[in-house]
Amino acid sequence: MRGLRYAFVLTATAFMPLAGQRPLTVTGIQSLTFATLLPGMPSVVSRTDAVKSGRFDLGGPHDAQGEVTFTLPSVLTGPAGATLPLSFGGSDAGYSQSQNIGSQVGFDPKQPFLITFSGQGRGSVFLGATARPAPTQRAGSYTGTITLNLTAFP
Amino acid sequence: MYTASKAAVATLVLALVAAASVRAQGVNGSITATATVQSPITVAGAQNLAFGNVFPGVAKTVAYSDATNGGRFDVTGQAGTAVTYSFALPTNLTSSGNNLPIGSWTGYLNGANSTSGGSGITPSATPAGASLSAGGTLYFFVGATVTPANNLPAGSYTGTVTLTVSY
Repeated sequence: MRGLRYAFVLTATAFMPLAGQRPLTVTGIQSLTFATLLPGMPSVVSRTDAVKSGRFDLGGPHDAQGEVTFTLPSVLTGPAGATLPLSFGGSDAGYSQSQNIGSQVGFDPKQPFLITFSGQGRGSVFLGATARPAPTQRAGSYTGTITLNLTAFP
Repeated sequence: MYTASKAAVATLVLALVAAASVRAQGVNGSITATATVQSPITVAGAQNLAFGNVFPGVAKTVAYSDATNGGRFDVTGQAGTAVTYSFALPTNLTSSGNNLPIGSWTGYLNGANSTSGGSGITPSATPAGASLSAGGTLYFFVGATVTPANNLPAGSYTGTVTLTVSY
């Protein structure tokens, strides 16, 4: 019986980290927008561009760590399957524990990045990129999907 | 006792599994990346401004509406989009170092290839605005006057008129 009692205590301890903590969340807040492009003319969107940069808001256990990875498209897809090359530089992503676009820590969106949630269990990731329309790029609207994957370390 | 130990071990295993599942917890979210590519602008010199034969001391005018001799540029680009245009105009046509003054430029722009239904312009180097038609076209028609001097040497005189159009 004593063994059984210990087991319950151990079980309760194991589950304790879940109690009262914010659940892990990732919310896409703002699209990465290049607006109007001309054929043959590359366009850069900075991660500090408040209007055009992409933004994800993260939620999780306060002061806990997590790992961010991206699923990034190499092209945007447009009319009749036309593709528009898209690239991400080594500092095109930025993390802000305070969710302030003006205070980011840059990182490479092609590599896993370790983040620490704020004391309120929040954080934001901002994302820039470069689009390179070909000189013969077909006119029209192009879109792609960017996914942020968040794994927590309790 | 044996039963209690087994239960303890089983519960411990469950606890470890639970802890492991917490460690593996992951979520994701997505945004879109968007871009709009405009059609490039093309400008084609479709028809030369041709004065034909002129005589010393006799000015000659070619109207922009002259279907045979008036100059014409054909422009294509993003439908319905505003553009800025300007001209680089010669002040003389030249031949072997001799000058034939040219001026009094006249013009007309239209979304269709016609000198009616559009609007008159005065070609100049000063940028001005226009809009491409719903079909993405714009036509510029150009006329001018040459004023040969009384002693102008005979010859073939030429000059270049350049139209620049940008978004």
